[in-house]
Amino acid sequence: MEELDAEPPLMVVPGADPVARQLCFAWGPAEVLVCETLFGRRGGSPIPVLRPIPGPRSPSPTRSPSRPRALTGCVAGTGEGGPSASRVFVVRKDQDIYIQTLRKLFNESHGIFIGLQRSEEELVGKSRKAQLVQVSKNYRSVIRACMEDMHQAACKFFETWPCCFFQVSILSAMELIWNLCEILFVEAAAAGPLLLRLLDWVRLHVCDVDNMVREVLSSENPSKHKLFWNVVDVFVLQGRMDEARHLLSKEASANPTSVNMYKILDDLMKKMPVPSLGNTQTLTEMELKWQHWHEECQRYLQDGTFASNSHMESICKILLGDEDAILEKKELMTTWYHFLVTRLLYSHPTVKPMELRFYAQSSMDLFLGGESSPEPLDTILMAAFEFEMHQVIKECSIALSNWWFVAHLTDLLDHCKLLQSHNLYFGSNMREFLLLEYASGLFSHHSLWQLGVDYFDHCPEYGRVYLELHIERIPLNTEQKALKVLRICEQRQMHEQVRSICKIMAMKALRNNRLGSALSWSIRAKDAAFATLISDRFLKDYCERGCFSDLDLIDNLGPSMLLSDRLTFLGKYREFHRLYGEKRFSEAAKLLLMLMTAHIAPCSFWMTLLTDALPLLEQKEVVFSAEQTYELMRCLEDLTAGKSDKQKFQVDDVETMKVEMLRLALARNLARVIVKEGTLEGS
Amino acid sequence: LPPQVSVINTVDTSHEDMIHDAQMDYYGTRLATCSSDRSVKIFDVRNGGQILIADLRGHEGPVWQVAWAHPMYGNILASCSYDRKVIVWKEENGTWEKTYEYTGHDSSVNSVCWAPHDYGLILACGSSDGAISLLSYTGDGQWEVKKISNAHTIGCNAVSWAPAVVPGSLIEQPSGQKPNYIKRFASGGCDNLVKIWKEEDGQWKEEQKLEAHSDWVRDVAWAPSIGLPTSTIASCSQDGRVFIWTCDDASGNSWSPKLLHKFNDVVWHVSWSITANILAVSGGDNKVTLWKESVDGLWACISDVNKGQGGVSAITEGQQNEQ
Repeated sequence: MEELDAEPPLMVVPGADPVARQLCFAWGPAEVLVCETLFGRRGGSPIPVLRPIPGPRSPSPTRSPSRPRALTGCVAGTGEGGPSASRVFVVRKDQDIYIQTLRKLFNESHGIFIGLQRSEEELVGKSRKAQLVQVSKNYRSVIRACMEDMHQAACKFFETWPCCFFQVSILSAMELIWNLCEILFVEAAAAGPLLLRLLDWVRLHVCDVDNMVREVLSSENPSKHKLFWNVVDVFVLQGRMDEARHLLSKEASANPTSVNMYKILDDLMKKMPVPSLGNTQTLTEMELKWQHWHEECQRYLQDGTFASNSHMESICKILLGDEDAILEKKELMTTWYHFLVTRLLYSHPTVKPMELRFYAQSSMDLFLGGESSPEPLDTILMAAFEFEMHQVIKECSIALSNWWFVAHLTDLLDHCKLLQSHNLYFGSNMREFLLLEYASGLFSHHSLWQLGVDYFDHCPEYGRVYLELHIERIPLNTEQKALKVLRICEQRQMHEQVRSICKIMAMKALRNNRLGSALSWSIRAKDAAFATLISDRFLKDYCERGCFSDLDLIDNLGPSMLLSDRLTFLGKYREFHRLYGEKRFSEAAKLLLMLMTAHIAPCSFWMTLLTDALPLLEQKEVVFSAEQTYELMRCLEDLTAGKSDKQKFQVDDVETMKVEMLRLALARNLARVIVKEGTLEGS
Repeated sequence: LPPQVSVINTVDTSHEDMIHDAQMDYYGTRLATCSSDRSVKIFDVRNGGQILIADLRGHEGPVWQVAWAHPMYGNILASCSYDRKVIVWKEENGTWEKTYEYTGHDSSVNSVCWAPHDYGLILACGSSDGAISLLSYTGDGQWEVKKISNAHTIGCNAVSWAPAVVPGSLIEQPSGQKPNYIKRFASGGCDNLVKIWKEEDGQWKEEQKLEAHSDWVRDVAWAPSIGLPTSTIASCSQDGRVFIWTCDDASGNSWSPKLLHKFNDVVWHVSWSITANILAVSGGDNKVTLWKESVDGLWACISDVNKGQGGVSAITEGQQNEQ
């Protein structure tokens, strides 16, 4: 047996005191329970110790139930006073599903996810790729919308929810990563367009300089602003040539001495060849043009054209891809991946996807320069530039506190057929694995669980069984919720769960004395035993009160009446009452008799039935035929005979009187019917 | 940023002595606790609240464990104690009362576990007298008792039921007919053994003896089923070891242990999460550790842990191994 060397990482529960005590642990459906205890007392110790059974203690003062208190939020430190031995901690892993402002993220991405699953085999080739890119963009716009909301919330509530700003930065990082993955994996931009995409990416996400840009542009005299050249540099570094040129023109008009210099620089910037998105030129053509342009810039620099203006000279150096010159503008780029893209723009604009990894690594090294070490975000982006998809997913799983991101991204990559092509045996299983984790997390939320159902549906291997296990734990607080859960189970032919839920609801209704509800639930559960139990209750109620409750239900039982004998009896008995009420006496009589002779009625109820027969026997018109009367008499005798043997009639005057009345009524009826039948026969 | 954990509720149970067990009900709405102060308490913990619903007295010694029955049987809780008794409590008309008391053990009852609801309302109890008793509710307030004497020499410390699996469960049984379940449960005892028991013709027989521990087995936990033909049991012991036992074939004949970890102290408690993908281990070293089992060896690969023992590696909940 092999042992594992690695010591597992700890889950530390704030508030508990692990030094003094051991921790007892229990799983709840969504949360976990931790309490301080001392093991070792249960079951004795290996060295047998004789312990006397403690004698009865003097009764402790009764404690009144504690006032309800609501404690929410984190407990920092070691908790308030009071004996720590008596506290139980309900602990939950922080999940983003509990953050209100992220609700939109979960709901809307759910819609995108479902749409993607359903769009499977419709398109192929280029149009399929365009479709997938659109899906990716949709996900990103949801992230951005959430960021907006979160940002607003953060500004509004920053005192009570300081973590909001943090959340904004997490979302921002997620969008950054996703965007890069979209460019490299989903769109799989080829050399040429690749650079343009990366430039867009940088422009969109490196926003630290936006304020500065705004400030300068909105000032009265931009070229006099102290940050003027910084902004020009920013534009150049981000390849925003038009904007750079526009600003420079202001400088030119303000400074006539440098007009010549400016014209040349402007010209160079205008002529810079860039990859095109359409098919207007091939890569080779572009590379040729670029080479010429590069050489032209070189000449001007070496001629000393820009020697008298350090700013312009530095810009020219940047255009030439001079690493040192670019690195000097570190503060304006703020990140190594900005540096990477700028480098590529000015030294190798036709970079191929597979070449990115070398540039990326060296860019990061140059930029960080050994001063700082890469952070998780850097590692993730680096993995992406190296086209290590699995590494990206792994790192994201570690760095992010939620499964949302990796689950949806992996699913998208799987649809791009990228995971399988990596030839790893768990290619598509990884997708399912992450989706299962994500969906499981949703189930601990009182309303988001419904989204989880759809995710499980799209996990072919374990989705169903996970759904079965989770859906059973949803509290069925209201009838409405129970019906919702039921519908979900029925749609998926989860018969066991349907039965289970119906039984639970039936039991609940019974406990609250809602017999009608209990009955209909047990019918739905096809639970004969329970239906019998409830029918008995109905009958008992009838005996006590003389009327039925929930008549509608009993009247409309239909074929479900056959679920249990007792239920059948209940239904038929009620039918008897109805017939009687409608004055259909002979039908009622027939039914009543049948209930006894066919043994549908339980023996315990025969007395009641016979008593019910009394008014029929007393009718003006004869109702029971002779034969029927004989039957009734026999029933009565059976009843009294049986009782006198085993269960003595409770020496109850009422009972004895009833029997006497019945005997009398039956005899009278017999007399009348004999005459009637005799007469009819005669004519 | 590693996943954070928050205490969303601190329930002050006001127990006057050590708490030995705390269990959430099926839906996480109620909490039951039991203590050396001989009481069992039930709290309503919805929405972060803590309302004492019941303070149940009836035991005459420390109460070791509580277990909630499936909600389809109503609100039912079982407790077992040093006083040799097992008590079943039930909520009737809004109040909790003792509905059944079993006093057939000669020594402390250490563990109680309800069977899968498909089997009916059945409770397994393990005792220091070495016996395991099975209490089955037969209706009308009546309980039937079956006892396995000398299940473990010296004493039985833990019992855990196998999930309900119907043989040939692909075919749906016509309603009203009880499917032919094969009932099994696992037990752990002071004889250092984990045993598997099977019901045959109404009698309980020892089906398997699992030997790997070198000291008392303190807890066993049979993992919930996710539809695979394999069965999995976790066991922990005085010897500091936690084993994961798996049986691949449906006939339940060959169980093989895999050592999860060797701790430096007694391991007291193991329990599986709902979907059986996380095992919680409570050790004498004052920590609870969570272990994630892989699917198809997935974790071993992603986390670059080259200890790929076919599927078990050590990480916290929801997180891969950072080492």
